[in-house]
Amino acid sequence: MTGPRAEQPPGQPDPGQPDPGQPAVADVPPEVVARLDAPTREVLADAGWRRLHPVTPVLRTWKVVAAVLAVVVGQNVDDIWRLQLPGWVLTLSVLGGVVLLALVGAVYSALAWRRTRYRIDAEAVHVERGVLWRQQRRAQLDRLQAVDVVRPLLGRLFGLAELRLEVAGGTGSKVSLAYLREEEAQRVRNALLAASAGVVVAEGQDAPEAPQRDVVEVPPGRLIASTLRSGLTVWAVLGLVGVGIGCWFAGSLTPLFASLAGVLGLVSAVWQRFSRGFNFTVADSPDGVRMTHGLLEQRSQTVPPGRVQALQVSQSLLWRSAGWWRVEVNVAGYSGGSGSEAEQSTVLLPVGTFEELAHVLEIVLPDLGTGDEPPLEVVLAGLTGRDREGGFTPVPRSARWLDPLSWRRRGYRITEHAFLSRGGRFLRLLDVVPHARTQSLALTQGPLQRRLGLASVVLHSTPGRVKPRVDHLDEASAAHLLAEQAVRARTARAGAGPERWMTR
Amino acid sequence: MPAGPVPAAAPDPFAPDDVVWQRISPRYATAQRTASAVFFGVLLVVAVVLTVLLTRWVGSAVAAVLVWWAWDFWLVGRQVPAWGYAERDDDLLVVHGILFRSLVVVPYGRLQYVDVEAGPVDRRFGLAKVQLHTASPGSDAAIPGLPPAEAARLRDRLAARGEARLAGL
Repeated sequence: MTGPRAEQPPGQPDPGQPDPGQPAVADVPPEVVARLDAPTREVLADAGWRRLHPVTPVLRTWKVVAAVLAVVVGQNVDDIWRLQLPGWVLTLSVLGGVVLLALVGAVYSALAWRRTRYRIDAEAVHVERGVLWRQQRRAQLDRLQAVDVVRPLLGRLFGLAELRLEVAGGTGSKVSLAYLREEEAQRVRNALLAASAGVVVAEGQDAPEAPQRDVVEVPPGRLIASTLRSGLTVWAVLGLVGVGIGCWFAGSLTPLFASLAGVLGLVSAVWQRFSRGFNFTVADSPDGVRMTHGLLEQRSQTVPPGRVQALQVSQSLLWRSAGWWRVEVNVAGYSGGSGSEAEQSTVLLPVGTFEELAHVLEIVLPDLGTGDEPPLEVVLAGLTGRDREGGFTPVPRSARWLDPLSWRRRGYRITEHAFLSRGGRFLRLLDVVPHARTQSLALTQGPLQRRLGLASVVLHSTPGRVKPRVDHLDEASAAHLLAEQAVRARTARAGAGPERWMTR
Repeated sequence: MPAGPVPAAAPDPFAPDDVVWQRISPRYATAQRTASAVFFGVLLVVAVVLTVLLTRWVGSAVAAVLVWWAWDFWLVGRQVPAWGYAERDDDLLVVHGILFRSLVVVPYGRLQYVDVEAGPVDRRFGLAKVQLHTASPGSDAAIPGLPPAEAARLRDRLAARGEARLAGL
């Protein structure tokens, strides 16, 4: 797509945006265009370069100042007191330092802002950035795995948001546009998803954005209760009790200070879990499943159809009486972030009842391919059943030597479209992998397994929390399963929908 | 894995019927042993020097290094013949391991890229390693100990087949 980009003077709004619906959107199918509202259409129609919001440098500067201050003050607070400077000298030098830091940060951020621009056409997102080392990145839209709109606490004050695109190219393949006005971030997201989708087959979809249907909302009360009933809290309480006992015996607070870091870590993990899951909503839209959540930092994640590589439903012992389930997914690209970041992105449902779980499954895996059987019964059997219940293939009795507790729960079931692997007696687990999403397969056998005539089948999925496998199967049937599953995965792939999901 | 026909009563799960395994070069064992000779040699020298300088008790460390070396020597001799690969119509099979056996099936359409690597020792012995990469870190399929020509042939073939069957993620 050509645009008047080279001669565009920096710092000015893009020249002459075409009327919405004009053929500048030539590469995007008209059905898609019809579905979008006028401003979103403008985003697509405008092939020119765009800039991030001018407040961006301010936010960035603040981030830099806060980070540096936290480090410097945190490490040298004792030394600063020891200097015993008069109060005004101290105040002045601290203030001066902050101002200097802010100035340097501001100049750099402003430069960085000036040199960052992005452009969207029907094929790809282009981003140019970098002050000293220039970087040009082109992210192919048909490889789009997920789009997140993140609104950090500070950004929310200014009404700004960050747009993150995951394109599954390994670490650092994320494309981040920070910061945009919230409405613009949403508009760009809608435009990207529309362009990425290809064609709309359904009619009557000229809604402002792909119509969204709220499916599940996690009430805060349940979130709090579930967090309190998680293993994390148990550890935190045990740790605190341990420290308390230690203090009592020692007759001083030394044990408390010694274990402060650990205790704080646990408490913060519990808090993180709560604040991430706060106001969790799962919604269904033609652009895929949309998760909105967060207390201080709000995120809205959109995972297009067919982008879920594997899914895991789990239930800890403490949740069993309440009947709560947790759903996590593997989405290519989401694992690229840091640990907590990745963990945060892959939760599809932090805590939900079986009914809600059923709704969520229906969006993400609309057709399990169970034939005449109701899919929910199969899922339920996978979650709670054992042995042959629900048509699952159990592991042989000899597996009890290797897994005395939960061997009766172990098993797998193959439906027309997915592979289900069940396990765990105390922590109940069910992994679901669509056949079309299997990357590769493996059969493994250790010395003990060999003696017992057992073997494990491993399904390789994209990096993430879900690592589907079936351990301790009878070796002959494991080999058979491997061969069959390879064929099944191949045929499913051949028949799988295109990357541009609306063109199917 | 024993050569020759497998008795029908107990088919080996790691050797599907229709598969003819390509074995890796026996020179790979020599290459591996050379590499570990360097490693254990250094270790041994350190152990001996310490024994002389410090106390005779460190001498047990020398014995331990020797035993470990012998074990490694023996193990390599067993492991190398167990490596095998087979190109089927739609996927590549890689089998390896004696004690912990593993058979990996990598569909050509899932290959993201293929590496051919050769370290200094491997190069000296005229060997290379083909490493397959899919979108999953789990499918860690590698075929070491290939003659460079065969490695290049395999790489090109895999690339060509992968392209023909490429299926996104």
